Amino acid sequence: MAGFIPFALVLGAQATQKGLSAVEVPLMTGLNFGGGSEFSAVDLWTSPPHVLLIVAVTFLINSRHLLMGAALTPYLQHLTKRKVFAALFLMCDESWALGLADARKRKQAPQLSLPYYFSVAFGLYLTWVVFTALGAMLGPKLGDIEAYGFGIAFPAVFLVLLRGMWPGWRAARPWLVSLLVAALTFLLVPGAWYVAAGALSGLVAAYILSENA
Amino acid sequence: MDAHTLNVLNVLTIVLMALVTYLTRVLGFVSLRGRTLSPRMMTVLQAAPGCVLISVIAPDFVSNRPADLLALAVTLLAASRLPLLPTVILGVLTSGVLRHVMP
Repeated sequence: MAGFIPFALVLGAQATQKGLSAVEVPLMTGLNFGGGSEFSAVDLWTSPPHVLLIVAVTFLINSRHLLMGAALTPYLQHLTKRKVFAALFLMCDESWALGLADARKRKQAPQLSLPYYFSVAFGLYLTWVVFTALGAMLGPKLGDIEAYGFGIAFPAVFLVLLRGMWPGWRAARPWLVSLLVAALTFLLVPGAWYVAAGALSGLVAAYILSENA
Repeated sequence: MDAHTLNVLNVLTIVLMALVTYLTRVLGFVSLRGRTLSPRMMTVLQAAPGCVLISVIAPDFVSNRPADLLALAVTLLAASRLPLLPTVILGVLTSGVLRHVMP
């Protein structure tokens, strides 16, 4: 849980530098609650924002939830639909992993324990929203932090996030394709097309490379 | 800018983000219940978040300021072995100093 705090502060502070208000930041982190997508959204935020670009990137980054939700399904059979839909709103990488591990430990009846899951997930949720809001309140007081080298804070967060998902060199080849294509597109094509071009070419590469896996 | 304002386009973007994110959270449960994905689709879905994240920061890798490129290299090395906070601090310090000494 404490691991969320530095990410949250950096996100909140950077969001206000990009033109989001101190109210809009907790609105985003409270309604969306998906760190990776929020970092990308803030990175791409302009005023006015490219609505479709940001929404599409959000969907792609959070597409991993599809798999996570599917993996959790066998342990949700004992719950009403309403409880499942409430529980899934709070599903993030950490709450999913902890909830799933706890469910598997219950040998006689392997199922998700709602009290356990909600206490973990809600704690993470509150930490995220409160500390992104705090970052947003502190952000404007820091002035133009870009000039002092703070611009690197964002790529630093992304690199740490990527390290956390590192699948090994072989499985990371699509990432390299994405990086190359996105960088070239950024240099050659004006606008924010580099995100779509990089992401899509990476997915195509993953599809082609998995043929001989 | 007033810190307590709500901008229509900002709020619209946030609400749409929230909707598609919630969709990804429930869709796996709703549509994949009792079904299995092909290993190939699994591989593609697993690669997706990384592909998007690295595409977003790709412009930093082709910056035309040598100081920033060098700082990125140091940050990349730091990120591969240190937790978040030391990585950010080291990156910011390196970048600040390099920008100062190599304009």
